[in-house]
Order: sequence, then structure tokens, then C-alpha cells
Amino acid sequence: MIRDRLAGTAPREAAPASAPRPPWRERWFRYLMVVPAVTVILFVGLFPLVYTLLVSFQRIDLVEEDTRFHGLVNYARLLADERFREALGHTFLIMGIALPVELILGLLLALLLLERLPGKPIFIALLVLPVVISPIVAGSAWRLLFDNRFGPVNQILSWMVGEPLTILWTVHPRYVYPAILVAEIWQWTPFMFLLLLAGLSAVDRALVEAAQLDGAGYVTIVLRVLLPSIRPILAVALLIRALDLFRLFDVVWALTRGGPGTMTETVSIYAYILGFQQFETSYTAALAVVIVLLLSLLVMLALRRVEIAR
Amino acid sequence: MNRRRMLRTTAGIALVAGFATAASAQQADDIAVEAAKRYRGTEITIVWEAGLQSLDPLNFSGPLWEKLTGIKVNVIEVPTAEMFTKILQEHRAGSGAYDALNVIPSWMADLVRAGALEPLDPYVDKYGYREELEDIAPVYRDNQMKVGDTIYGFPDDGDVFVFYYRKDVLGDPDIQRAFKAKLGYDLPVPPKTWKEFRDVACFVTQHTGGKPYGAAFFREAVYGQFMFQERFRVEGGRFFDPDTMKATVNSEAGVRVFEAWREENACMPPGVESWGFVENLAAFLAGDTAMTISWPPYGRWAAGYGTEEQALAWVPKSKIAGKVGYALPPGGHPQLAAGFSLAVSASSRHKEAAYLFIQWLNSKDTSLKRVQLPYALRDPFRTSHFASAEYQAKWPDAPAYLAALQAGAVTGLLDLSLIQTDKYEEALRQGISRLWAGEDPKRILDDVAAQWDAITERVGLDRQREAYGQWAAKPNAYPR
Repeated sequence: MIRDRLAGTAPREAAPASAPRPPWRERWFRYLMVVPAVTVILFVGLFPLVYTLLVSFQRIDLVEEDTRFHGLVNYARLLADERFREALGHTFLIMGIALPVELILGLLLALLLLERLPGKPIFIALLVLPVVISPIVAGSAWRLLFDNRFGPVNQILSWMVGEPLTILWTVHPRYVYPAILVAEIWQWTPFMFLLLLAGLSAVDRALVEAAQLDGAGYVTIVLRVLLPSIRPILAVALLIRALDLFRLFDVVWALTRGGPGTMTETVSIYAYILGFQQFETSYTAALAVVIVLLLSLLVMLALRRVEIAR
Repeated sequence: MNRRRMLRTTAGIALVAGFATAASAQQADDIAVEAAKRYRGTEITIVWEAGLQSLDPLNFSGPLWEKLTGIKVNVIEVPTAEMFTKILQEHRAGSGAYDALNVIPSWMADLVRAGALEPLDPYVDKYGYREELEDIAPVYRDNQMKVGDTIYGFPDDGDVFVFYYRKDVLGDPDIQRAFKAKLGYDLPVPPKTWKEFRDVACFVTQHTGGKPYGAAFFREAVYGQFMFQERFRVEGGRFFDPDTMKATVNSEAGVRVFEAWREENACMPPGVESWGFVENLAAFLAGDTAMTISWPPYGRWAAGYGTEEQALAWVPKSKIAGKVGYALPPGGHPQLAAGFSLAVSASSRHKEAAYLFIQWLNSKDTSLKRVQLPYALRDPFRTSHFASAEYQAKWPDAPAYLAALQAGAVTGLLDLSLIQTDKYEEALRQGISRLWAGEDPKRILDDVAAQWDAITERVGLDRQREAYGQWAAKPNAYPR
């Protein structure tokens, strides 16, 4: 019997209908063990959220510190705040362009480097470099690159057109968005590339070979075999980048500080100006709560859509 | 008998005179050091602007104070843009983390309203500092020291805009001849009005083909807003109607300034709209521009003073040493842009020790050493600094440089200071960036005025009117 069990051939005993409950001491011990972790999580994660919610119903700003309950006054002001709506619009505009571009470029690079290429590890290491740079440093570097007096971008463009060019990338309305998008896409396409390359590398080669035997071309294999196989990874990559783009601050701050005027002001920049420059504590809290709600909605919809939640 | 009485009287007078001399010999710095010795072993923390500014307490004054008194000074470096917020946050938290503070004078009213600053009058009297305060140049002493009738800070930095011009370019006989032939009057060295400035700048640019350009300024909105505040008032502008508190920044004077800026840019290097402090400095020191306006360090660095220091390695080597003239900006009323006052935090647990430190820093003798530190950014702010033979010997044109600073310390114009000043300044900064984006000046300024009115309404019209009234009543709020 023992031999049979070791060999895994003994018939399995029927599982009891319900396992006997452990004695209460053991149960309490288990709970006790998780209490520190849960406390830390509650303190670190939930407390700031609850506190922010509380402050959003008060009236704390530079001038007064009125901690009485003022109802939805800050939320009502937020609804009427045109600058907030514009900031949301700018944020979604950047997200709407940067996200698909990063996805397409990242995917193309991943497909390219999926094949065996000479010097592939070096290429990958070089491609990943922008991701490891702090975003504010990347933004400052791009500001210098775009600088009219010292930057190489205008210099190279001038050589190309054969006459001196003065393009004020961080000043002129026509160029500020392209400048922001170039910097943002440059920095984060490699992140998309890395995730997608990892996903594509894990696809069962047998599926690809089977498709090839069935006469499928490269594009068909990519669209019908590879992409469906990495759908969950694709979804996670998009979700992470979408959330990052929604919180976009550093690159825009370094390049334009939200200008000209408020033309490139994102929600995060607006929140920073309100909270840390103008000390509108309660109003900024209301704005933060709305952003959290918006992001939670976005995440929930995305998770449901791609069925990762399961 | 008479002789004996005379001898006795003489001896008495000599004795009294000796005591008086001994008492007056004890300067404010000595008094502070002696009194501070009883706090030996204490540590105090001071908030200082990050970067070059903080090299003063880190390398010089902090270690020296510790050596003299046994009090250690911790320096918290904070970027300018965050200083106000950090000070206020700390005060609200009541942690007592900061003892002494550097505050920009235009914030003082806001900080006092929030209760963040300690009144200094009792300490000033206790430690006999009132007399030495009289040596601080009038514009700083009368405007940047008190809120109401109470002293909350010691003006500690003579930040004032100076007009810098190339003597060799503007004094070039060929350029002067051609200028007179074209414009019908002698080339003014330096230009005294903004019209003269534009004539000279555009003429030099045309005449030399941009080698050098006639002028350049920092046009980035952060700096531009100071220049706007100055020129707007020089052109006769008023920020508000004092009765209704309606913003009048969109008046004819405001529009005139914006339009003039755009016209002047045509005579400046391409892309000047995006220039900040460093771009403008680099161009001037390289000899690429003939006139500019900036804070006092430009003048020292242009002369090569201190640029051998490791901390100033980033400053381009001056190609124009000995060729720079110093003057008041056109209109004669330079902006007292930013600056710093030393204050004591109301939530400090070492107020007395903190006070003694700032008295010592700000005193005649210590401050004279500090404003001469080649790597630091504190600018002369005392009458005795301007007259210092030691400072005047620093480089050949130093006397002229100090004379320009002293002139600015008489006619300079204060930064606008209201309740929540930064909100008003932010609207103005946005307006300037829109100007460079090509929008219509009148439309921009109408928007700025509308934003200012909305801010005033939120703050409270009566409170803001009172705050504005107090500010506007100061001697250097508007040109007189």
C-alpha cells in the first residue's frame, strides 16, 4: 500500500465533505499573524485616502484653516472649474496619442528583436536605457536638446533645410505638443517593448509552426496567433502606461511647465500648482478624490474588458 | 585750584568717553556671539535657498558661528519655488523643525497672517540691534523689514535689477557717428528711457549684423513677470483701482509694455523668448549682446570676480571683463526682484538662539564679509557695503558697480505683495508665456485682469483692498 502510494497508483481516499474547523486558538493565531501586515496596508494605503476625502469636505487654504464640514462646496467648484476640464482634456489628448504610438513602436521593436539577430542583447540593453532615466531628468535633457541656442535639434534641422531655423519647441503652440510627445514616447516605448518581447518570447513556437504549415503569412501569424496569445500582457502593458500617462507630470513640467498659458497643463500639474504653490489644500483634495475615482473606474473597465480580473 | 579742577574734569570726561567708546565698540555681531554662548551645544536649523545661495551657511557662516558660539547650524536647502510652501507646511504641522528662515519679502505679509513668523522687536531691543538696522539701505529697511509696524525680518539681500551695457560697443565712435546720422541725436550711454533703449538696441543689431546683438533679456515668464512689474509701473501703470480693487493690469500701460516687448524682440537674438537666467548670462558674458538687465551677480561675474571658484565652474568665462558699464534700467526704477529677509520661525523651539544667529549674520561686520563671498549670491544691501573700501577694491569697476546698486536701493520698486500673491503672479506668468505664443496683448491682459478679479473675490474684496492699501502706501510701491 505504501509502495502503491509512493508510486502514486493507490486509489485516492474520498475527500471529506467539509474539513473540520481548526480550534479557535489556531484561528486566532492565524489572524494575529496577518494583523501587522494588514495594519501597515491600512495605514499606508487607506489612511491617506480617507484623510484626503475628509479634507476635501473642509475649507483649508493659505488664508484659513477651517476644519468644519462644508459639504460638497469644493466639488461644486471643481465642476465649474474650466481650467480643470481643460487639464483633463490635455491629459487625455497626450494619452490618446502617446499610448497607441508607444504600443505600435514597442510591438514593432519586439517583433524585430524576437528573431535571432547578431548583437541582440546589446540592442536590447541600449533600447532599455531611457526607461531607467528619471522622467524629470529625461524632460530636462529634451529641453536642452530642443533649446534654440544650445540644442542640436534645431541645428540638425537647419543643416537639413540649408538655412538657420528658429523653432521654439517649448514656447510656440504649434510645437509644444510634438515636443512633449517625442520626449514621452522616447522614454516609454522601451517599456512597452520589454513587456511585449517577454510575452512574445513565451508564445508556444508550435502554434507559429502550425500556422506556417497551414500557409499563413507573417502578418497573419502576428495578427491571428501572436497577438491573441499575448492579449493579457498587452492589456496589462496598456493599463500601466495609461495610468502613467494620466499622472503625467515630469516631462511636461521640465519642458513647458504647462505653458504657453495653460495649453499643456495636465491634471497632475494643475494639482501640483493648486496644492503646493497656492496651498489650496481642500480644493486639491477634492481634485485628488475625483482623479482617484476616475482612475478606479478606468481600471475597473479595463480589467473587465480584458478579463484579467478573473 | 582751577588747574586742579580742570584736570579733574578732563579726567572725568576722558573716563566717560572711554566707557562710551567701549560700549559702542561692542557691535551687534559681538553682542550676538556673547549672548549665544549660553546656548552652546544647541543645534538650530535654518531654511536657505538651494544651490549657490546656501554655500554661505554651509561653507562660511554656519561653521564660523559654531566655532564662535558652540551652536551648530543645520542648513535645509529648499528650491525657491518650494520655500514658501515648506515654511507654511512646517508651521501648520507645528513640528518645530525650522528655527530660522530665509523669506522673500513679498511673502512676509502672507506668512505673518498665517502666524508663521516671530515678531522680532523684543529681541532687537534686548540685543541692541536697532542702531545697526539704520545702516540697511532705505529701500530695503523701509519696505522689506516690517509688516504693519512690527519687524518680522531683516533685509539681507540687495536683489535689485541692474542695467548692464558694453562700454566699448556703445562708446564706439563709428557706432556713435552712424547712430547720430540715422536717428538725429547722440547715442545715449547708457539709454535713460525705454524709447532710447529700443533705438540703441535695434541700431546696434542692424549696424553690427548681430555681432553683437543690441540687447537681450531673460524673457521666460518666471523672470519676465518681474520685468513686467517694473516696466508697467514705470510706464505709469497701477495694478488695481484702490477703491474698487478692480485689476487695472490691462490698462493702456500694460498693453504698451507687451507690445514694446514684442517689438524689441525683433532686435534681440532669435529665440530670446525662451531665454532664462543662464541663457541670457551666457550670451552676455560671451560678448554676444551689448545690453541686458539682471540681478547683481551678472556684474560681478562679467568682471570675472569669483568665477575661478569651483562652485561657479558652470558660469561661462567672461570675455567682456573691464568693458561693462552699470546703470539703472531705463526709467530709473529697477525692480527689487525677490531678495531675502532673515526671520525666525514662530514654531521654533530655539527662538532666542535662532534670533541671535540671524542678528549676527545680518550685522554690519558679518554681512560685509558675506556679500563679498565670491561664490555666494548675497548682494550688498547696507550703506556701509556700498561704501566699503575693501569691496570697492575687488575689481577696477567695482566702485561704479556699487554706485549702481546704491542708486537702485533708493529708487527701486517693490514686488507686488498681497494676500496670496503667488496666484496673481501665476496668472501674470501665464500671460507672458501666451504673449510669446503669439496671442494678442490686449486679450491676454484682459484675461489676466479677469483672473486677478476672480482671485480677489475668492480672497475677500475688503481684506485684499486693505492688504493692497498697506502695500501701495509703502514708499517704493510706485515711482514717486
